Amino acid sequence: MDLNADHRADRAVIPNPALISLLYLLFSLFWLFGADELLAFWSGGAPPSPLDKTLKDLLAIVPGSVLLYALLRVHGDIVRRVHHAQARRLERIEGQSRRTRDALENQFRERTAELLAINQTLEQQVTARTQVEIALRDSEERFRQLAEHIREVFWVYGIEEERLLYVSPAYEEIWGRPAEGFHERPLDWIEAVHADDRERVHAAHVARRQLGCLDEEYRIVRPDGAVRWIRDRGFPIRDEAGYIYRIAGLAEDITAHRLAEDQLRRQQVELAQMARLRLAVELASNLAHELNQPLAAIVAYTQAGLALLRQDQTDPRALTGALDAVVNQGLRAGEIIRHLRGLVQKHPDARAALDLNTLLRAVIHYAQLELRQAKVTLNLELTGSLPAVLGDDIQIQLATLYLARNAIEAMQGAEGPRRLTIRTALQDPDTALVTLADTGYGFSAEAASRLFQPFFSTKPGGMGLGLSVSRSIIESQGGELWATSNPDRGVSFHFTLPVYGRYLHE
Amino acid sequence: MSELSTVFLVDDDPAVRDAVGLLLRASGLAVEAFPSAADFLAADAVRRPGCLVLDVRMPQMSGLDLQKKLCAEGHRMPIIFMTGHGDVPMAIRAMKAGALDFIEKPFPGELLLTRVREALALDTQDRCRQAQRDAAAARLARLSPREREVLERVANGQYNKTIAAELDISISTVEIHRRRVMEKLEASSIADLIRTLALVDGEETL
Repeated sequence: MDLNADHRADRAVIPNPALISLLYLLFSLFWLFGADELLAFWSGGAPPSPLDKTLKDLLAIVPGSVLLYALLRVHGDIVRRVHHAQARRLERIEGQSRRTRDALENQFRERTAELLAINQTLEQQVTARTQVEIALRDSEERFRQLAEHIREVFWVYGIEEERLLYVSPAYEEIWGRPAEGFHERPLDWIEAVHADDRERVHAAHVARRQLGCLDEEYRIVRPDGAVRWIRDRGFPIRDEAGYIYRIAGLAEDITAHRLAEDQLRRQQVELAQMARLRLAVELASNLAHELNQPLAAIVAYTQAGLALLRQDQTDPRALTGALDAVVNQGLRAGEIIRHLRGLVQKHPDARAALDLNTLLRAVIHYAQLELRQAKVTLNLELTGSLPAVLGDDIQIQLATLYLARNAIEAMQGAEGPRRLTIRTALQDPDTALVTLADTGYGFSAEAASRLFQPFFSTKPGGMGLGLSVSRSIIESQGGELWATSNPDRGVSFHFTLPVYGRYLHE
Repeated sequence: MSELSTVFLVDDDPAVRDAVGLLLRASGLAVEAFPSAADFLAADAVRRPGCLVLDVRMPQMSGLDLQKKLCAEGHRMPIIFMTGHGDVPMAIRAMKAGALDFIEKPFPGELLLTRVREALALDTQDRCRQAQRDAAAARLARLSPREREVLERVANGQYNKTIAAELDISISTVEIHRRRVMEKLEASSIADLIRTLALVDGEETL
């Protein structure tokens, strides 16, 4: 056969595409193979090996054929044979179309390669984009978490929009005003600024549009009337051209810092007061000595005079010297008292609403060193929802400090764990209760009755003033101070203070 | 109470010194007042019969310092402390060091007078006992060593025979020594002998 050699030469021969299309239409599966008994085309991917055998059998049936087109239905094993003449005709057509086909094939391959490349690029782009999207989503999530959970108010101000574009939920917490209504009331935040600070803050607010920078501390008044200190900082955000188009900022509640600073200042004052008290006690001791001298002289002169008078032979005029001396000594005593009066000073009443827990924390902070040195463990059991109490914080701090020190000293040398428990509670709606419980030696029944007496002390070198001063302070604040023995060991000191609101209603 | 007994008053406060002095004198007591411990020491009055009424707080030498010094030097004059503003540890210190009392100003005159009379009586008694002791010691000093050995054995209740054997002397020699001891100690009985010994020994144990 003339085509035989030709086919051997070109093993890759593939029938006319039109035929292939037709075959595709007619059969679900078809194949063709060359006279060399090797498969030339198979429509369904790699031919299964049992079928190979069938094909070989098929070739045995039709030997010597140049090219056999075998068509197989998948459902059955029906093989349709195409006539050799028809096959030859097809071969011719095929021969004519080979070049076209080859060209098409090339084109197809090129196109496929091109498409594959495009597809690959696209896939890469999609992957990259997905990654970016995930990253963006993560970043946004992180930002959202940060913005919504930080205690500071995060804000973004648009220069062109001339308004705040974003305010984080902490605004509600700190300002006590709803964050949603922000868009309707863009000046909401500045309305809350304390009247004394508003002008300054407004000026800074105007200035930041130019500078993009801001660092201001100011007070705000919450709807509940509470005053909070805010530190507000802004940072410029620039576009590609370097033009500031937004300002991002953080507004932080620094009330606690401010309070701590104030407290520190007050504690310094208090320290000075305590030093003054010590000095006063020292001076009082000296003055007692000084005062007892003229008193002793007066008594002795008088009794000497009496003794002389009882002796019949005494001339009463001999007593004038003694009586003059009595007068002088009386005046001397008066002079000493006048000195003493100069040392006593009245402090103005400075009662206000106090957060008892904050106050106690400040006291603890102050006694930290003593607690550490005495190896005392502190146990705070502060009731969170305690209403404000009315009192002079310095005075109450002083009393609490005395009690804390008393407890620390009471545990010195005591066996077992040394623990100071400070508890706050609401005794009744009008009264807050503070308890300081120690694990010290405790006190005897005899000591219990004298505990609050001035100059009564069970401690060596103790002046015996702490508890008596503490009681008088607490009583001056409208509260009570008393002590109880703990069931296990140690002592609890309790004091009460009036609840702020309740007091005002009276 | 001896006629010669004097109340020595030491206080830096002139008014107190004057007033307390007047009070004591009005009660018939002899008083010598000093503005400081140093002045008192300078007067060399510490050997004289009497007692000290002493202020605790004084510049330079305090009352407690003076007490310490007198004690260290072996003087036994009774001391009554006065204080304007005393504390317990101070009082304990003074009392432990042998003070008769520690009284706080101002004090009732009777309290001081009572204490002063007690102190003077104590001083007189002390001086009397001291005089007896001194006399007994002087008498004992007259004994020869052998007489002393015999006295110790007699006081222990030993018989002459035992003493003679112990000292390796004759009984008659023991009897001579005994007689001599009785004469020298001016004793009329064994009881007198023992009393004299006890007086001296008592001082030694003090």
